[in-house]
Amino acid sequence: MKDGMDIADFAVDFGIKKGANYIEARFVNSCDEGYTTRNGSIIGAGEKNTNGIAIRVLTDGGIGFCSTAKLEKTNIENVVETAIKMAKASKRKEPIIFSEEKIVDTKWKTTVKQQFADVSDEEKIKFILDLDKNLVSQDFGESLITRTLMLNMTRDKKYIINSEGSKVESDKSLVAFYTFNTAKGPIGTEQRFYGAAGSMGWEWFEEQKIIEKIIQDNEALVKTANFAKEMYLGKTDVVVSGEVSGIIAHENTGHPSEGDRILGREGAQAGESFYIDLLEKQKLGEIKVGSEAVTLIDDPTLPGSAGYYLYDDENVKARPRYLIKEGMINEVLLNREFAARFETKSNAAARAIGYDREPLIRMANTYFAAGDYELEELIEDVKQGIYMKSFTEWNIDDRRFQSKYVGLEVYLIENGKLTDKMVKRPVLELTTFGLFGSVDAVSKDMEFPYGTCGKSDPSQGAPCWMGGAQVRMRDIRLGGKK
Amino acid sequence: MTEKLLETAIKTAQTAGATEVISRFIQGPEYQIRFSNSNIDISKKWENSFLEVFVAIGQKTTEVDIQNPSIEKIKENVSKAVNFVKLMPESELYAGMEKEIHSFKKIEGLYDKQSENFYTKAPEMVNLVIDSSLEVGAKRVAGVLYFGNSKVEQMTSYGNTGSYDASYYRLTVRSFVDFESSGQDVVVGRNLSNIEKKFVAAGQHAGKLANMAVGGKQGKAGKYDLIMSPIVGGNILGQITDGANPLMMMIGMSPIGDHFGEQIGPEHLTITDNPHIGEGLGSSPFDVEGTPTTETPIIQNGVLVGLIHNTTSGVMMKAKSTGNSQLVDFFGGSKLLAPMPTNMKYANGNQTLDEIIADCKKPTIYITSNWYTRFTNMLEGEFSTIPRDGMFLIEDGEIKKPVRKLRLTDNLLRMCKNISAIGNDQKQIYWWEVLTPTFVSTIKVNDCNITAATQ
Repeated sequence: MKDGMDIADFAVDFGIKKGANYIEARFVNSCDEGYTTRNGSIIGAGEKNTNGIAIRVLTDGGIGFCSTAKLEKTNIENVVETAIKMAKASKRKEPIIFSEEKIVDTKWKTTVKQQFADVSDEEKIKFILDLDKNLVSQDFGESLITRTLMLNMTRDKKYIINSEGSKVESDKSLVAFYTFNTAKGPIGTEQRFYGAAGSMGWEWFEEQKIIEKIIQDNEALVKTANFAKEMYLGKTDVVVSGEVSGIIAHENTGHPSEGDRILGREGAQAGESFYIDLLEKQKLGEIKVGSEAVTLIDDPTLPGSAGYYLYDDENVKARPRYLIKEGMINEVLLNREFAARFETKSNAAARAIGYDREPLIRMANTYFAAGDYELEELIEDVKQGIYMKSFTEWNIDDRRFQSKYVGLEVYLIENGKLTDKMVKRPVLELTTFGLFGSVDAVSKDMEFPYGTCGKSDPSQGAPCWMGGAQVRMRDIRLGGKK
Repeated sequence: MTEKLLETAIKTAQTAGATEVISRFIQGPEYQIRFSNSNIDISKKWENSFLEVFVAIGQKTTEVDIQNPSIEKIKENVSKAVNFVKLMPESELYAGMEKEIHSFKKIEGLYDKQSENFYTKAPEMVNLVIDSSLEVGAKRVAGVLYFGNSKVEQMTSYGNTGSYDASYYRLTVRSFVDFESSGQDVVVGRNLSNIEKKFVAAGQHAGKLANMAVGGKQGKAGKYDLIMSPIVGGNILGQITDGANPLMMMIGMSPIGDHFGEQIGPEHLTITDNPHIGEGLGSSPFDVEGTPTTETPIIQNGVLVGLIHNTTSGVMMKAKSTGNSQLVDFFGGSKLLAPMPTNMKYANGNQTLDEIIADCKKPTIYITSNWYTRFTNMLEGEFSTIPRDGMFLIEDGEIKKPVRKLRLTDNLLRMCKNISAIGNDQKQIYWWEVLTPTFVSTIKVNDCNITAATQ
């Protein structure tokens, strides 16, 4: 790490000498370890270690970026000069500027009790194979006709220095477990991609009861394959779990809140945002998108979270961002470039996934804020409705307005009672306004499932939590083919 | 020097106890220019230099990537990898690799020397794309231009050695007239001759589509015939051809696993995995095991006739390797040795887009671009996808008006069977939503299900 930090310092000094208006060097030492099984047999396992540096330069109003794993000083000089030349060659009509931010010199790291490196390879192999055996040995195990289990552990040590004098050193561990399983029922199959992750060490499995969660999830998958039946419910009330409210928070609020999308920078990639139409007529804080029950937060500082960080990849201090407050658009996600465009300060949303990627505006942990209700209270007031505990297919248009969420584990609610009747693949096909406008109550309890957020080109899969409280929506006309 | 690096990897692995080894060195620069709002946002250069080493002891395997490799780094990392393999149980996904020694036929057109200095004129090319689109009425232009070159050198423990140089470019341009009226085009290839002309045409096409989309209103959900541009067809039907892969079948991600030998499309639908097209971004003379690449029919006259294979999947399914072995990123850590497609090549049809439109007797939706294709069930092929950019309602053989805010919610196998026309406007597609290079034309599908938000 020390050599990488020295070379990053050298790069910034050299860039200043060569006339860069702003230069930032990000050295990343990364260890990425993965184990994959298919139906109880290992199909892939191994480790990838990388040491690399990214140089980002802002000069003459343009940005140049160059990354390399060749860390000799002569090569770093070439890399810095190339980045400066590329920035100058942009010849932008509107120069890019960065917001002014506080100079910091600090360190942060995730709290880890047992480092991944301190767990033997044999133990990791045994763990994943035993988990598959455990699934198969359950009463429902025979119905899981294909099982793909994936264990992934990463540890990223970073050092970011810029020409303004900010320096941040960080050390983040992240463990993630995914399953992609197929359950066979009497008339077909159901499939489920499930993920859980935390910025902790190996202790995460025990402390967060991950094995139990995976078993419960697969039990629900098998139950769905066996018992879910198509029902035509017309207009109905819908209560969704934190898993479903979380994906809604992420897709319908988090993405359209990204400042770069709002102002068009992702136009040819992840798309733009319907917020731009609204912001032409009204200001942040004045735009109503949902009922007063809707408060949505994106918070990188949640301890143990998948999207955890205390300083972003532009060395700006992280804090919770209240994206929607009581139904009103309150704040958008910003890095330094777009903070300047919005004439404000960055709220530390810049993240880069790997040394060879540029920092972009990203979500961290986006969630539906808690309300005052118990789940039973959400349900007891529903005459006819569904309780959507998990989802399968989902998508949304690139302006983030027309969303679709297909339920997986879904139960019928009748006369205020949750029944054991399962509803097959109900579809919420709603606009963002239609969705948030129908929310009338939110639970006290919260959960934080894991997802990999996709954005940009080349795609940068960012680890995020997306979850929060359980949410009740009134009078929803279910969609789908029929 | 490279030969020494490759040999060191193999000898180090063998000395430590490996029975089979692949060593593959890839180096060369790649560049990217991203632009939006008619301005360049960022210019990037990546210095690629890494060695991929696949190691097996019997059926136990792993893979390690070594960046900026030196003899010392290789010895350290490969020894560690072999020691790791010794701890592993046998892999279900490994049954050996190519043992026969081959010579490889050169594929013409993989490398264009002009790529070496293209970075000097690339910003100017991007501005040309932007200007060409603005000139036809676009108000804002966004996009991405990638280009670069690489040298791939490879050696296996059975003595198969080979190398090739390759270069590429790919442009995506998306033009806007207003926030909701947009059009997109892509240009993909390796040979940079006449590139200005191709880029200008793409910029103009995106700008014209954006103009045509102006004034679009919410469309009506229902049953329609569907015309898919090559960008859309490459994505949607690509979900079927990507499924002609034993790995996808094994993990439940293929909709065609139970349909081998069946008529899954019309007689005029023929698709081949073709690694020998000079301009194809997936082309190469040999796969990572050192097996010569071959053309593999996947769908012939509508019948599912073939799967891609590497040695292992060939052994598992009593077939021969088709030379499709690749090292594949798979949820972190090391790469898997598995079959992967090269270029999907559709047999061209004989109708122009205008003729296909003129033949539309029933209400038809023409989708020019799409994104966010997701599945309720990959085995069943139940999916939906979101049209983006210009989308048009065709009635009585004419484009009547732009429409918006619709979703294609259908079944892949049903759609494949209902293909009713294939255009003669084939082009190579490779972009964010199509990651297998695909040579595909405009395709018409009958009776598709279009949905919309209910509130």
